[in-house]
Amino acid sequence: MSSESRSENSELTVSRRGTRSGVLVLFLLVSLVGWQLRASAQAQPAARGATLETRVVLAGDGMRDASPTQVVVAWEPASDPSPPSAKRPGTFELATRDKAFAPSWLVVPAGSTVRFPNNDPILHNVFSVSPGNAFDVGLYGRGEGEKAVLESPGVVRVFCNVHRQMYAHVLVLSTPHFAHPDATGRVRLEGLPPGRGRLLVWHERTELEARDLASPAAAPASLQLEITRRRVPPHFNKFGRPYGRRDRYGD
Amino acid sequence: MRLLVMAISLAAGCGALLPPALPAQPDRDGGAGGAPGRSRQETRHTLSFDLRANHRSSDDNAFPVAFPFPPGTLPPGQANAFLRTVEPGDHTEVSLLSLQWDVEIGAGFAARLKLDGIDRYDRNPTSTDFELDVDEAWVRFGRETATATLAERSGGYVRVGKFGRFERQNDRHLESYGLVSTAFNRFEDAGLEAGADIGPHFYVKASFTQGNPVFLRDPNALAGDNGTPGLLQRPASRELESGIPILYDAEIEWDGLDFEHPERALGLGLRFANADASRAVEVLAFANQRELADTVELNGTFYGGDLDLLDGPDFDPRPYPVTSDDKEEVGANLWLYLGDFSLFGQWVDQDIGGLGRVGYEGEVAWRFELPLGPAVRGKQIFPFVQPAVRYSKIEPDFRAPAGTPSPSFSWEWDKWDYGVRLGLVGRTDLTVEHARNRFILGSGREVENDEWLVTLRVRFRPVRTGAGSP
Repeated sequence: MSSESRSENSELTVSRRGTRSGVLVLFLLVSLVGWQLRASAQAQPAARGATLETRVVLAGDGMRDASPTQVVVAWEPASDPSPPSAKRPGTFELATRDKAFAPSWLVVPAGSTVRFPNNDPILHNVFSVSPGNAFDVGLYGRGEGEKAVLESPGVVRVFCNVHRQMYAHVLVLSTPHFAHPDATGRVRLEGLPPGRGRLLVWHERTELEARDLASPAAAPASLQLEITRRRVPPHFNKFGRPYGRRDRYGD
Repeated sequence: MRLLVMAISLAAGCGALLPPALPAQPDRDGGAGGAPGRSRQETRHTLSFDLRANHRSSDDNAFPVAFPFPPGTLPPGQANAFLRTVEPGDHTEVSLLSLQWDVEIGAGFAARLKLDGIDRYDRNPTSTDFELDVDEAWVRFGRETATATLAERSGGYVRVGKFGRFERQNDRHLESYGLVSTAFNRFEDAGLEAGADIGPHFYVKASFTQGNPVFLRDPNALAGDNGTPGLLQRPASRELESGIPILYDAEIEWDGLDFEHPERALGLGLRFANADASRAVEVLAFANQRELADTVELNGTFYGGDLDLLDGPDFDPRPYPVTSDDKEEVGANLWLYLGDFSLFGQWVDQDIGGLGRVGYEGEVAWRFELPLGPAVRGKQIFPFVQPAVRYSKIEPDFRAPAGTPSPSFSWEWDKWDYGVRLGLVGRTDLTVEHARNRFILGSGREVENDEWLVTLRVRFRPVRTGAGSP
């Protein structure tokens, strides 16, 4: 082979190599762009889902020692496409300390287990008669305590059968879409499934308020919550009787 | 009797206007509702044992009685008879051992047997009475609503046996008794009682019982010894002094049940309460009527009860001026609960064979939970403190005959009881209280007769069996 022809061959080789490299780069670029586009397309529904925005305004004779940050605002879609992992039940703790529950309220996914550690040197008997979540763990002393599984969405009122003044609330939610307002009362829930649903608003000193709405965007610009003063919620003991004895034969 | 029939008719008429079964617990999520998993027919047995020990410190007062007791009937060395403080000075004693067995089957059946041993402060009526007493023994069919709570629904009950009367003060915060709660219906009666809730707020109660005999006792802790067998001996002797007695409704004798002079009672009540009855008010109007017996035999005394007592000894030339054999009472109770604050008030207008008297009594108490401190076996030491004050007054509208052996029946009398109950641990508590008696003698002189009382109350943890037990 002559040097010319080697040179031509060489140029041809270089030329073919350059073409192959270009195709490879182009392929990589196209793949990268395609992957990005696909990833972007997958991500877009969450980022571009419906948004609920409102402002919670506290009112009532108990608002002085209450803060909007203690409020729970939740969106319960009529049909919820949220991945199951988003609302997986967990294990939570509601401890007894100095003849009180700490914390005084909890938000848990439905099906969660709540444990009641006793940090006091005295016996407690935690119970609830809230429909769907009734339980009675019996008398128990200091230690990690007994537990209860809360299955039904709603507010669970928790009491002690020994000490009337002890109470706590557990808000059981069937939706992962909830948030607490900031100190000014503003709250924003993003990435909600579009369509009908229920707006839930709750504070430990209010009833659970629920509003059916056509979409998250239909939430009112502001919501007023009447906060009552902190006092022991009316309740009987676990036997359905007043705590103090009023038996005329109990002298 | 016609009045009773009219009252029952009125009650029934009012009841018909009320909704038949308003929900007693408006709390929608059941926060104040029933108990979890509590079957309507579950059976529970409860066995409890109580012990009370006391220290008493009593003033020493004596008031001469002009009555001419025959020679030899007075204790040695005593020329005159006296009304004297039952047991002056300081004394420490175990006053009560009590065993109680309760059975409940759902809400529709209950039974109780209560045996009191020693029972020094409820001895009926003297220190020589039985030291073992069947204090209560009854069965109840049907649902009975606790005081100052709303009825779950319309319904009724019947109770048969020996039981406390329905107008009796049921929520006491001191160990002592006021004048009214001593004089009227302090002790159990035997017979039948029926009650009906008509809606959540209104109720009617009625009873047909043997009737507590009229007798005499000191309103402080000990009743006093009057007519005890030792007084018939020569020389006469007795363990305790007479006390400064008032007329009261003594306990019936368990071994001498008879219904020859039965007591009929009717009560109409109204109650309002919030969902868990922590804020509640109840009023009860009642009327009792029976015929006094010529005499009623009581264990531990040779004095007869009822008319025999008012007639005095056979040789009494001037007995109390009894004009009939009717005994009637009308009265009203008030219960008020505001959280840990409670008030009980009672007014009674009584006529015993023409001898009338009016009594008032009011007791307030406030229970304060103490901060968590040290504990013993899971029980807080000093869990609560509960001050209480009671005022009571009796105003007889008759005068004692001159020379009567029992002039204090007619004295205008008021009594302050005030004290504090401190939870020690578990169901054991200590009550320290002072009774200030003030009465006006026939001469118009005002006298005080006071007593300090310290009570250690040990209530052993009840043994419970059956569903729903903690």
